[in-house]
Amino acid sequence: MTPALHPSRRAVLATAAAGLSTALTATLSGCSAASGSTSGGVTLTFSWWGNDDRAARTEKAVRLFEKEHPGVSVRTSNGEFGAYLQKLATQAAGGGIPDVVQLDYRQVSQYAGGEAILPLDDIIKAGTIRTSEMDKGLLRTGTYKGGQYALLMGRGITGYAYDSAVYKKAGVPTPGPSWTWQDWAEANKRIAALGLKSPDGRPYTGSNDGGGNEDVFETWLRGRGGKLYAHQTELGFTEADLTAFWAFCDGLRKDGAIAEARDTVQAKSTETSPIGRGLAAADFTWDAPFPGYTGLLGKDIHFAPVPTTGGHQGAYFKPSMLLGIGANSEHPEEAAQLIDFLLNDPRAGDILGFSRSTPPNRKIAARVAKTLQGPEREIYDYAQTMEKYGLDDPPTAPPPGDLAIQTAFKRGYQRVMYGMATPRQAARELIDEANRELRS
Amino acid sequence: MSTVSTTRAPARVERTTDPRPRRSKRRQVRERQWPAYVFLSPWMIGAVVLTLVPMAVSLYLSFTDYNLFDPPHWVGLRNYQEMLFEDPRYWRSVGTTLLYVVVAVPLKLGLALGVAMLLKNLGRGRGFYRSAFYAPSLLGASMSIALVWKALFNDGGTVPDVLDAVGIHTGGWVGNPDLAVYGVVLLTVWQFGAPMVIFLAGLQQISPDLYEAAALDGAGRWRQFVSITVPMLSPVVFFNLVLEVINSFQVFTPAFAISGGDGGPADSTMFYTLYLYERGFTASHMGYAAAMAWLLLIAIGVITLILFRTSRSWVFYADEEGR
Repeated sequence: MTPALHPSRRAVLATAAAGLSTALTATLSGCSAASGSTSGGVTLTFSWWGNDDRAARTEKAVRLFEKEHPGVSVRTSNGEFGAYLQKLATQAAGGGIPDVVQLDYRQVSQYAGGEAILPLDDIIKAGTIRTSEMDKGLLRTGTYKGGQYALLMGRGITGYAYDSAVYKKAGVPTPGPSWTWQDWAEANKRIAALGLKSPDGRPYTGSNDGGGNEDVFETWLRGRGGKLYAHQTELGFTEADLTAFWAFCDGLRKDGAIAEARDTVQAKSTETSPIGRGLAAADFTWDAPFPGYTGLLGKDIHFAPVPTTGGHQGAYFKPSMLLGIGANSEHPEEAAQLIDFLLNDPRAGDILGFSRSTPPNRKIAARVAKTLQGPEREIYDYAQTMEKYGLDDPPTAPPPGDLAIQTAFKRGYQRVMYGMATPRQAARELIDEANRELRS
Repeated sequence: MSTVSTTRAPARVERTTDPRPRRSKRRQVRERQWPAYVFLSPWMIGAVVLTLVPMAVSLYLSFTDYNLFDPPHWVGLRNYQEMLFEDPRYWRSVGTTLLYVVVAVPLKLGLALGVAMLLKNLGRGRGFYRSAFYAPSLLGASMSIALVWKALFNDGGTVPDVLDAVGIHTGGWVGNPDLAVYGVVLLTVWQFGAPMVIFLAGLQQISPDLYEAAALDGAGRWRQFVSITVPMLSPVVFFNLVLEVINSFQVFTPAFAISGGDGGPADSTMFYTLYLYERGFTASHMGYAAAMAWLLLIAIGVITLILFRTSRSWVFYADEEGR
């Protein structure tokens, strides 16, 4: 027997205490990214979100900028939308927000109000960033309390990417700006009835399931004359509205007309969406990522308007994404030059094309439009068509709580899909949660 | 304290009989101690700056509404009240975490003990096998392994395909709210290397004499396991149990990677710390997240205390022998 080598009661206790103390320190430790310059020159950090097509084009434009500005190098990083937002919030908390940062419409007031991004008015006045060719009304979307904090990179609109070959095979007419949600449901049923199989042998369906997508719901709601927010602290829709929408999607999915729950849950990008995996014929999306769909799936993919309610379109133009300068940037001058280059240089315009939908600079939009081909021509024409068809005015910027409500929306519909709640229960839960977010 | 009580401290008696005056003795001690404090100072500065100050700030933030951007403003117990009485998702995350702890910890410890017993008497190649079983613990905490795990359990991944081949049709685990949490459990259980090594060390401390004597008395393998191995190993079992319980309450990385950060599908992998993270960094309610962190600390403290209390009846310490 060698009793001395057995752990004593005290040793066990001490170790447990040490383990316990890590419990707290591990849970809330922020991280701050290093930013700054290398010894040779200036290094800018630039981060954005988007698909592979956008990444390739953005990289190319950035390399051209580096060539034009010797001594300035740009370190880029990008990611998938959801992860990007969280990472940025973490960086903002640590004061390590990138020098040049791509922002969502929903983030502008929060980041500007919290002084995480710089006001750009002086830089614009000095002419480092030129805005003369941009639409005044759209420029306003990047303002906060009268100051310009972000500049939009594109004017976007929602739409519907669909496989025209499958639509033809099913005898569904080409979707026009006045097709209705009933037409959409009918199209999905007809496609499912074709009996096609996906690559993994499962039944091929008509479309992705937009039930968990707040953007799709907003379009549906606006088509019926409603809106997401009455004002900054109040929802603009009722439990009955949301119940009707979720019951509609739920029914179609149960009939096998739209994608299965597990495929909706796994869809996080063009590549993992049901249409990208060969499981469905269509996907609700924005115009900006559309060229990525044809790149992945071929020329039969076209871009159509979202369905209407009795011909009333719910889609609207909004800034697809914006650019700002991190408040702690050590090189705001160079950061401003990069922004100006991306937004106003014709060569950058040629490279970026419509990868962030219609460029905000009118001259560049017109110049690029002339050379546009294929999918980019298509989204340009789509925007023209929709403008002519007539759209309601865009809503005011959503409240900061919308970021949380957006994820709650997705989760609420997941509970419906997996039978954990009825559409009505889930709608009730979402409204309770949204009210808590808006109150605080 | 007076110097009168002489019953238990002979050292103290000695001190009072020291001819030199007390003050100079104290100074002497202080003079002798300063190098120790100098050498300790990096650690002490680290402990204060990196642990105590953040803890204090976190406690303060838990009573505020703080969105990362605007200065925090005091709301008193509002966060705690909302958490406990108004937020159904909070309680769902507690439930998911408890389920995880109750399933993962016994499985992991059982596996660790089983493998340790197998490896104990291994002759040739024991080094190799020990490293092989320990390796997942070194790798497993990383994001990349969690992503590989996700690929294995996803639609079209190896695990669902193999199960399909033997007639069990589960589909992808990652997209199935009934199975997603067990994917995380398996990932944790697979990393049983650390407790296994501790079990091995404990097993090797048990004297072979005991087994010999038991064998002479006619005890079989099972009898030896129950009557010798288990009681002799109980401090090690207890040690591993406490550590694993504490760690399991804080599970984060695998769930974050497998669900892509949202705890889905339908909150089925929304563990406590993941929900805490979501409140803090997605919804920008840092005060609420800090309050959650403090309740977690208290809960883990209470559970650890309960484990210690119950341990008195089943843990046998060698240094208590003969008492």
